[in-house]
Amino acid sequence: MSDPEVQMHCRRIACLLAMGIAATLTIPPAFAQTPADPDWTVPRTPDGRPELQGLWSYATITPLERPADLADKEFFTEEEARAWEDERLREMNMDRRDGTAAQDVSRAYNDFWWDRGNSVVSTLRTSLVIDPPDGRIPLRVPGGRGRGFGGLAGLGGRYDGPEDRPLAERCILLGSGGAPMVPTFYNNNVQLFQTGDHVVLVNEMIHDARIVPLTPRSGLPEDIRLWLGDSQGYWDGDTLVVETTHFNDRRSYQGAAENLHLTERFTRTGEDTLLYQFTIDDPTVYTRPWTVEIPLWRNHDLMYEYACHEGNEALAGVLAGARAREAAAAEEEDR
Amino acid sequence: MRHAILTIAVGGLLMGPATARAHHAFTAEFDANQPIQLRGIVTKVELINPHSWIHIDVTGDNGEVTNWAIEGGTPNTLFRQGVTQGSLPPGVEVIVDGYRAIDGSFRANGRDITLTDGRKIFIGGSSPGAPTQ
Repeated sequence: MSDPEVQMHCRRIACLLAMGIAATLTIPPAFAQTPADPDWTVPRTPDGRPELQGLWSYATITPLERPADLADKEFFTEEEARAWEDERLREMNMDRRDGTAAQDVSRAYNDFWWDRGNSVVSTLRTSLVIDPPDGRIPLRVPGGRGRGFGGLAGLGGRYDGPEDRPLAERCILLGSGGAPMVPTFYNNNVQLFQTGDHVVLVNEMIHDARIVPLTPRSGLPEDIRLWLGDSQGYWDGDTLVVETTHFNDRRSYQGAAENLHLTERFTRTGEDTLLYQFTIDDPTVYTRPWTVEIPLWRNHDLMYEYACHEGNEALAGVLAGARAREAAAAEEEDR
Repeated sequence: MRHAILTIAVGGLLMGPATARAHHAFTAEFDANQPIQLRGIVTKVELINPHSWIHIDVTGDNGEVTNWAIEGGTPNTLFRQGVTQGSLPPGVEVIVDGYRAIDGSFRANGRDITLTDGRKIFIGGSSPGAPTQ
């Protein structure tokens, strides 16, 4: 390729990057903060239920729990929110090079690859946890499961084989996709499909589809346990409620696993907003139920594939790294 | 004619605290003690999940050409920002600053990827100064 051609392509890259920045501007959470249109009414399906279909995003940088320095503050003002966002984005920035070498490795690739959102939730709450009122996850019962995100299977400390590795590395579950759904580093999108008797939630993260029947069924036998649990949906007025039990004991959300009773609620609050709330109830882990609220915003983009297994060369790389370290340690011992 | 260079600097750096949560543990795959700078020509871009790979031909001081694979993130984020398979076409020269794979293979994570005129590619998002949503 000649130098002028290279320059042309480089200009094209810069152009595309600029377009990319423009694209992010098309999905402003600020939009969700505009006062509700008093003339807006809930759009309905032919059978009269609220229309929930479409692609919705739960990307936000609002923390799950209220930070200690905001202990008495349930909501930001607009000005406080912008200042907090600026500070947090600086902290999370993956392009900074001011840490240790290990931190540098863990930052892995430029910020361009990450898609966490740049804003706090449109309600300006200081935490996603709304109950307890202090915005903090309640105390655990003594002897309960530890906190965790990625699941119980494969705690990440051993490298003998794939089974030792966390569920995410094995492309079995990336916990952020649900259930429940919680914001993470990218793929914070869920597409809802509705029929008269089912709702399907397709999550972009690891492309899991949860099929939720709306007609009452008899529950599963106690010993049938599923990665995504067994869901039953119903309408509570204009709110879709999804109750899920029968999770297996090899995955968890914040330590809640096989005894978790998860209740999710979906309520349309505007043309481009859908309020998502979920309650974690697991008396074997927590001293009381707790509730999270995330205002979802309509993503006018497309849902993309996340065929995690197909290109998961990283798992082989992780195990190869462990073998190399073992060999180096053995060689050192032989000296 | 472009002269590609390969520099591997090995330092006695200490391992730091917990890593960022992501699809996999980067510190288990890449060696913090092997920072690396590669200058080479893009041969292929694989926009695959869960991680993209950029392949570059690097010519060593002895003239030998080695194909290196540089790990990136999910392509979904790039697609949403307008980047496609053709955005970084074969033939473009790039400089990669990153860390080499622990197993000694010709793989690295790409902490920074820049064009030869110094412009960074794949930078933005929540970087300081980048537009907010």
